[in-house]
Amino acid sequence: MQKRALIDRIIDPSETTLAWLLLTPAIVFILLIVAYPVLSLIVNSFFDIRLSRGVPVRFVGFENYLAALNDAMFWRAVKNTLIITFVTVPGALVVGLGLAMLANMPFKYRGLIRLSLLLPWALPLAFVGLIFAWFFHSEYGIFNDIIRRIATLMPSLGWEPQIWFNSPSLTMMAICIATVWKTSSFMALILLAGLQTIPASLYEAAEVDGASRWTQFVEITLPLLIPSMLIALIFRTLTAIQSFDIPFSMPGPGEEAQTLAMYIQLNSVDYLDLGYSSALAVFMFMLSMATTFVYLRYVRGGRD
Amino acid sequence: MSENKMSNLLSSKRLRWLAAAIVIVNGLFPALWILATSLKGEVELTAKPITYLPHNPTLQNFISAFRDQPLLTYLLNSGTVAILSTMLSLFISALAAYAIARLNLKRRDLILTSIIAVSMFPLVTLMVPLFEIMRAANLLNSYWALILPYTVLNLPICTLMLVSFFHDIPRDIENAAMLDGCTRLGALWRIVVPLAAPGVFTAGILAFVNSWDEFLLALSLNSAVAYRTLPVGIQMYQGEFAFPWPIISAALVVAMVPVVIVIVVFQDKVVSGLTSGGLKG
Amino acid sequence: MRTMFRTIFVLSAAILLAVAENAFAEQTTTRLKVYIGGQQRPDLMRELFASYMAVNPSIKIDLEIGGATSDLHQKYLNMVLTAKDTTLDVFLIDVVRPAQFAAAGWAEPLNAYFGSSTALEAAMSHYLPAYREANTIDGKIIALPAFADSMFLYYRKDLLKKYGFQPPTTWPELANMARTISAGEHNATLQGLSFQAKAIEGTVCTFLLPYWSLGGEMLRDGKLTFDAPKAEAGLAMWRDMVNQGVAKKNVAEVGTDDTRKEFQAGRVIFAVNWGYAWNHFESGADTQVANKVGVAKLPAMDGGKSVSCMGGWNWAVSAFSKNKAASAALIRWLSSPETSKQLAIRGSFHPVFASVYEDQDVTKAIPWFADALPVVLTARPRPVTPMYKMVSDALRINTNTVMAGVKKPSEALAEIELRVGRAVR
Repeated sequence: MQKRALIDRIIDPSETTLAWLLLTPAIVFILLIVAYPVLSLIVNSFFDIRLSRGVPVRFVGFENYLAALNDAMFWRAVKNTLIITFVTVPGALVVGLGLAMLANMPFKYRGLIRLSLLLPWALPLAFVGLIFAWFFHSEYGIFNDIIRRIATLMPSLGWEPQIWFNSPSLTMMAICIATVWKTSSFMALILLAGLQTIPASLYEAAEVDGASRWTQFVEITLPLLIPSMLIALIFRTLTAIQSFDIPFSMPGPGEEAQTLAMYIQLNSVDYLDLGYSSALAVFMFMLSMATTFVYLRYVRGGRD
Repeated sequence: MSENKMSNLLSSKRLRWLAAAIVIVNGLFPALWILATSLKGEVELTAKPITYLPHNPTLQNFISAFRDQPLLTYLLNSGTVAILSTMLSLFISALAAYAIARLNLKRRDLILTSIIAVSMFPLVTLMVPLFEIMRAANLLNSYWALILPYTVLNLPICTLMLVSFFHDIPRDIENAAMLDGCTRLGALWRIVVPLAAPGVFTAGILAFVNSWDEFLLALSLNSAVAYRTLPVGIQMYQGEFAFPWPIISAALVVAMVPVVIVIVVFQDKVVSGLTSGGLKG
Repeated sequence: MRTMFRTIFVLSAAILLAVAENAFAEQTTTRLKVYIGGQQRPDLMRELFASYMAVNPSIKIDLEIGGATSDLHQKYLNMVLTAKDTTLDVFLIDVVRPAQFAAAGWAEPLNAYFGSSTALEAAMSHYLPAYREANTIDGKIIALPAFADSMFLYYRKDLLKKYGFQPPTTWPELANMARTISAGEHNATLQGLSFQAKAIEGTVCTFLLPYWSLGGEMLRDGKLTFDAPKAEAGLAMWRDMVNQGVAKKNVAEVGTDDTRKEFQAGRVIFAVNWGYAWNHFESGADTQVANKVGVAKLPAMDGGKSVSCMGGWNWAVSAFSKNKAASAALIRWLSSPETSKQLAIRGSFHPVFASVYEDQDVTKAIPWFADALPVVLTARPRPVTPMYKMVSDALRINTNTVMAGVKKPSEALAEIELRVGRAVR
């Protein structure tokens, strides 16, 4: 077949051409806004750029990357980030799924439930950390207040108010609780939309066949929710890897609970070590890319 | 646990009420706490034992919040930027999602992954170059300085959601429409998008809230008071050392009201059964 | 005929002169952009700028208001200066920043803008010595002091009077007084001493106060001179305060404003805090301690000297500014004794000139500045190095972990020595 003239292809496009035309706005916007920063980042990672030291910029190849691999603080940040990811991603999924199911059921106070489901998402992330830091304050926080009240009512439990931010593990727990609280709302929103695409007729047929609610859930709801779950999981995981706002506002003792994003910010904006922080950001990108590949492969494998 | 017992458990009214109660407390509590704090005086915050409801409720914090800073300007700015970037994002991602979901496209996965890759870089590392771009384009301290980046930042989630929802819509409907003389793009806007309403509105909510809450770029690119957005404005109530919770809570209440309205209105459209899919029981 | 030519000539000359004057005037109107923090009284600054513009009609000043906290303020500056932004001419920088700005080449050295070296010396010698020193890096004047700050010992003079005490001169003395008063008052919520150990910048001062008191130095000529035993003694003193019940157990959660709030609510006997707290104590909303607050020099370690931690802000000219001369002239005016006096009277900003503290108008408007001066004179600058942020992190993080009970002092001190050493290498 002869290649058609360009003008013909635009006016009466074939499918492939149309597809590319439709993709053009997205590509243009992304290139305009993101291309230069990302390239700049990658290029910087191969140089020694430390503005505070007043040393000249020089090319150092993979030195920044090797330095990171030998940096104990880097590994601690990675560890903390992975803990947050492995706890809050499934956590938010489970809680979010429950919230979405509840919001979908016919219920007298459905409006109130939906509002409660969505309010955490409405609270700006920058303040969620600060608010939960206050909630976990050892003197003025509500968690300790509740623990104190329970302890007076039921001393046999042996519960004691803790100084949450004096302990690395309690701090991580507090961070995860705050994160799950905020992001289960996000998951619920996506899953709720997914629930809408499941035809009621399927459930009706299952009822007729005598399947219990649990079976219906496992055999109908879950499988058909997988596309939505995947979207929710991909983005939840990406943001978990980039956790910054909440851990930043709930710092815990010293730097014990520092995440990778916090470490990157420390090195870039505070220490002005742009070479090193760029290398760290590239590591984060690689981690994000790897997880996305895993998710997408699961999609392809599951659906084809 | 046997299947029967499990399903009995799940369908028991009590459990549902309990679950509902947990959900409501969990969701409403921090918001109610912020509301309560906005009505308290500062001294009450360090009272022991801690108080929940304000002892001497006062509206002074709201008055101070509006007086100390141009909160309405911030609201307007945040609203403008969020609405425009959401609309732009939805439009662009609808086009892209249609191409990916429907049309004959090689390397579909690669394209999708590239779009998602936009979300894989922490914003803080992109700030200096973005500042340089906006400065070169003379866009610093303007609405576009934020609308453009926010549109791009929301493209991944919007595109992915719409791809998934477009996938679910049977091709026959579109084909029927095209046989009737509709163009591809016409089919997109008149048939596919309305049928994907839950996905479209959800993506819209997510994009809107993301743009509304964004802090870092707004701080760096729109530092002028006239173009400042809410998150940046609210942190300005702080002093060098002081963090006035009551006033900041009042500002947060003001900041959250529009978002809640948007979410509730849009969320109704998500579950109102506009689709042929229908609702679960 | 002749009259016509003459008229035309005169008219044209007049028009030409008018046009030339206009063009010349437009050429010489300089716009300066000044960047200050949101909490540095932009309203007051605007009034000052208005009076400057009245006297200098060719200058127009635009004020840009930035981050409320020192940290956010600095992050913004870090970002725009890394991008070599040319639109900012003048900015305020924290007193710990000049070394970093010098190394990064972000501040224009001001030595050349004083006219002559005698004029320079005359101007600089007026400032409080610590401020002059903090702003001079390798002989170059990086910034001019705007206003000062210091850590003070606030105390309940009503309680001390009740028990017949004079303000303590050593930390052990303070602990004894606190315990006596607490026992006598039978008030379980009354704290003896409130100080900061949260991992904030102020905690760097918490670490340094006893260390300096014993004669320790962190840096000399930019090289590390860490005296571990003195540092250990310092940390031990703070931990003793907690162990004796003089300070509360969760001191690792206490930030600057927490101390202020609790003292203001009447629940603290002695507090270590910055200058801003005074106005809150005396005239803040719901204050329980108005007219009950005294100010004194910080106690010393046994056998040591009384020292305080220096705070404050300075005016700098951007190295990328297109109007350096005009900017330098502006900040010389902003940093003059007259302006310092205005800032003191109208904004309660601490002066950077000893003479202004003792000025009659100032002491009439702000009586407590007379008590403040002796304390300000004991204030010392935090380690002067371009890598200040790294040093600060090493000190504040480790002080925090020790006070939180998460790290042993010996480990913490080893890490301080390691990290600070690496930072200044």
